[in-house]
Amino acid sequence: MNRLKNMASDQKHTGGSLLFAVLQEHGVKHVFGYPGGAIMPIYDALYDSEVEHYLCRHEQGAAFAAVGYARASDKVGVCMATSGPGATNLITGLADALADSIPIVAITGQVPTAAMGSDAFQEIDVFGLSLACTKHSFQVTDINDLASVLHQAFAIALEGRQGPVLVDIPKDIQLAEINCSLDDLSQLPNKVKLPPVDVTNAISLLSKAKKPILYVGGGVGMANAIDELREFCNKTGMPCVSTLKGLGAIDPENENYLGMLGMHGTKASNLAVQESDLLVVVGARFDDRVTGKLDEFAPNAKVIHFDIDTAEINKRRKADAAILGDLKINLPALAIPLSIADWQKRCQQSKADNGWRYDHPGEKIYAPAVLKEISDTMPKNTCVTTDVGQHQMWAAQHMLFNDPSDFLTSGGMGTMGFGLPAAIGAQVSRPTDCVIAVSGDGSFMMNVQELATIKRFQLPVKILLIDNAKLGMVRQWQDLFFNGRLSETDLSDNPDFIMLANAFDIKAKEITKKSEVTAAVAEMLDHDGAYLLKIKIDAEDNVWPLVPPNTANDKMMESI
Amino acid sequence: MNNYQLTITVDDKQVVLERILQVTRYRGFLIDGISADVNTGTNIGTIHLMVKSERPIELLVDQINKLIDIKSVSVDNNT
Ligand SMILES: Cc1ncc(C[n+]2csc(CCOP(=O)(O)OP(=O)(O)O)c2C)c(N)n1
Ligand SMILES: [Mg+2]
Repeated sequence: MNRLKNMASDQKHTGGSLLFAVLQEHGVKHVFGYPGGAIMPIYDALYDSEVEHYLCRHEQGAAFAAVGYARASDKVGVCMATSGPGATNLITGLADALADSIPIVAITGQVPTAAMGSDAFQEIDVFGLSLACTKHSFQVTDINDLASVLHQAFAIALEGRQGPVLVDIPKDIQLAEINCSLDDLSQLPNKVKLPPVDVTNAISLLSKAKKPILYVGGGVGMANAIDELREFCNKTGMPCVSTLKGLGAIDPENENYLGMLGMHGTKASNLAVQESDLLVVVGARFDDRVTGKLDEFAPNAKVIHFDIDTAEINKRRKADAAILGDLKINLPALAIPLSIADWQKRCQQSKADNGWRYDHPGEKIYAPAVLKEISDTMPKNTCVTTDVGQHQMWAAQHMLFNDPSDFLTSGGMGTMGFGLPAAIGAQVSRPTDCVIAVSGDGSFMMNVQELATIKRFQLPVKILLIDNAKLGMVRQWQDLFFNGRLSETDLSDNPDFIMLANAFDIKAKEITKKSEVTAAVAEMLDHDGAYLLKIKIDAEDNVWPLVPPNTANDKMMESI
Repeated sequence: MNNYQLTITVDDKQVVLERILQVTRYRGFLIDGISADVNTGTNIGTIHLMVKSERPIELLVDQINKLIDIKSVSVDNNT
């Protein structure tokens, strides 16, 4: 941490001003938050700070904005909230960041140390709550520890497998005065100690394989190893598949790329994985949405598992060779040419035979076709966020991305309400890039208050609202697996979304017919500011293919 | 059910014991016994944890090892 040495020594600080000084040391320019009693000294220090604060309209919105900010770039996202209800409102965002390994630092105000443990006004044991939803957490009880704790928070958020870190700061610590120089801070010893890598076994597995598949997850983007991965693809020529979070890592133009695998994966991907004799797993973790019935997942395949997290090896599937450590270093070590021409051809044929079809009868809008059209016409470097449900799976299936930081979706947690605030964070992070939030009529309402954040900061976020007047994904499952008993999934009394957007000075338009799509998409993409395009679709449309729960991935349903 | 005895050494930091207990429960292990003490000179704590589970102990060892303040985890017996 050499840059710390440049700080002027012995500056007079309060806890609050020290917080912002340290944030700036870590290159933080933007924070997302919401004030309240127990964090007022920090907000008072913010008043004099160069750090820009984005007031969200709910702490969950602030947490997701920080997540979107981090995911759209390689920066750490920072969010802040007051004690009690402010802190509990952050929890969902922290859980989401933990599940998807996203580096964020959350700062919470706490009641003064003297009042702690007395059920004081707006006191909640956020430190205790944090144990289950952060990578690590701190409570600062001495002003002399504050700077060091904050440095550790950033280091821990970023090192090894990334994740959220919470720092709880009591009000008296925020107010306490300290004379300090920032150059004498203890360095955090790197916790991640991995055994040296032995690739001999993996090389031998690889050279013996006749039907290998490369299974790529979100770890590749987080390790910044896109180039190394693509080089690996080129050298080996291996047919490859991606998880939801891995989308964008593999070059979408790669002829051996078969698409997403898992519950809503492509037929070509799932069939190839099931038939494979070797899975090369890179930065992925055999999530149940990927594997389907675990015992029957790729039943004949040996496994080479690349990861940064020792605990993922053998957690759900035994690895025949484990390659722990930095993908940037380890992927090139295994990038060897393979003679698998027959297998490549078979996979490519299956991909051609099972391509997406966009011919859809009738006048009504077909969401997959709209998403494909947006994907084909959106500017380079567009960042797409999604909410959770059918629209999310359609976006994953029918849009193509050139980098995982261009597709932000709540994977591990599947959190409705993610899309809009994540788009806000992404837009702040990448002000000159186009940002599109693909949302559903259910999810949109979960953080709809963030339209006010878009309005306040004049963020040119585009919103594609796919309106089926249903909690569509749940409705689909009710139709398929619960005898069509549509319990509590009807949203036919949705508000007037156009009027709602207009109330926040956001231009909005509704379309209902296929013939209107091309012009409407162009209008949205060409518009200078924020824009909401609502497309009305049939409430009965389903996401296909679908692997039913606890079923092998080759037994996918393709229609009812 | 398999019984295991773990010896865990830790930096004596905030709530480190609570973190270990939380991970142990969440990962599907029942706690049969625990003893813990701290060397106040070195600020290193030693925790003996008796657990039982149907699950392989490596699962828990890997997860405890990931906690930031943990120095080492070893399985002393496997009965
Ligand atoms: C916070 C949260 N609550 C509940 C769910 C369960 N859930 C998953 S998808 C879904 C329906 C989403 O509806 P909508 O946003 O309209 O998307 P659609 O499936 O209709 O495209 C629900 C309720 C969830 N994922 N997240
Ligand atoms: Mg819907």
